[in-house]
Amino acid sequence: MSDAQIQGYARALFEVARADGTLDEVEDELFRFARSYESSEELRNTLSDEQIPAEKRQAIIEDLLGGKATATTTQLVSMVVGSGKARDLPAIVDVLVKRASSAKQLDTAQVRTAVALTGDQEARLKAALENATGKSLNLKTIVDPSVVGGVVATVGDDVIDDSVRTRIDQLKARL
Amino acid sequence: MIATQLNALASGLIQAEGKPVPNDGLGSTSLSPYFAPIYEVLIGGAATLIVFAALYKFAWPSIAGAMRARTERIQNDLDSSAAARSAAETEAAEIRKSLGDIEGERTRLFADADAQAETILEEGRARLAQEIEELEAKADSDMASAMGRGAEDLRADIARFSSQAIESSIHATLDDAKQQQLIESFIARVGAGTGASS
Repeated sequence: MSDAQIQGYARALFEVARADGTLDEVEDELFRFARSYESSEELRNTLSDEQIPAEKRQAIIEDLLGGKATATTTQLVSMVVGSGKARDLPAIVDVLVKRASSAKQLDTAQVRTAVALTGDQEARLKAALENATGKSLNLKTIVDPSVVGGVVATVGDDVIDDSVRTRIDQLKARL
Repeated sequence: MIATQLNALASGLIQAEGKPVPNDGLGSTSLSPYFAPIYEVLIGGAATLIVFAALYKFAWPSIAGAMRARTERIQNDLDSSAAARSAAETEAAEIRKSLGDIEGERTRLFADADAQAETILEEGRARLAQEIEELEAKADSDMASAMGRGAEDLRADIARFSSQAIESSIHATLDDAKQQQLIESFIARVGAGTGASS
């Protein structure tokens, strides 16, 4: 899919969510689903397999998100998968998140941790990152076991990496 | 045979002259038991002279020619023999010379062969010595290389096992409290503006 098409899909999802009044929730749920989609090879293969009928792939989405995410999120993901664009879902969602952040005059901060952050930790981490970067941030957290421990925060082109994985890799390189 | 006929002829001539011929009962006309009558001697001598003259006139040339031819033949044979002998002597001399040459050639060939064998032997010794040196150098190099490889392998094994041990140890010690401690530490350091970045 071209960049223009990705931008077009992201704008459409953004407008639908904003019109529905659930932009923050939808944006957050889409972001989490996109990261799950990226980390699961089985999910990627299933949702992007054009040999599987679109209705069946959409039914899988209903099973996965139904009752766990807002109806708007479920319908938007189902629409993207049904139109055969599941492969580009993470890129579409990333553009949507940026657009949403821009609409709120915020920059996106992506934080990866091995275990889930508490609400208090997210708030303090957001404040700490805003203090360090001097920007107002839209914080997106991802639970990524490959981090092993610690935190990896990405704000624009800046990466603050204090993960155990990186330290292990550095130690291995020295060995 | 001719003398008998001449004697008969002479007897006929005597009888023709009318003189009686004494008969000794043996056919001789001589009165002496030892000598023939003179006329028989004369006639016989004349007849002999005639015979010898005829022989000289008609037979001698061929006899002389035959003798000359024989002499020539013998001389030719002698010349041929002398020539053959000379040729044989020459050939013998050549053979002797050749034998001498062969002996010299044999000696020279043996000398050349000895020299070549000595040269080959020297070259072989030198080559062998060089090959031994090269093999020793290669063996030293291989040993050093093998030792280096062994050390590298050992280092790689140590690094691999150390990595595995580190990872296992860290995973084993990273409980929830440690995870929370790492997160809080990160928040504190980023908030203080000392976060690690890349």
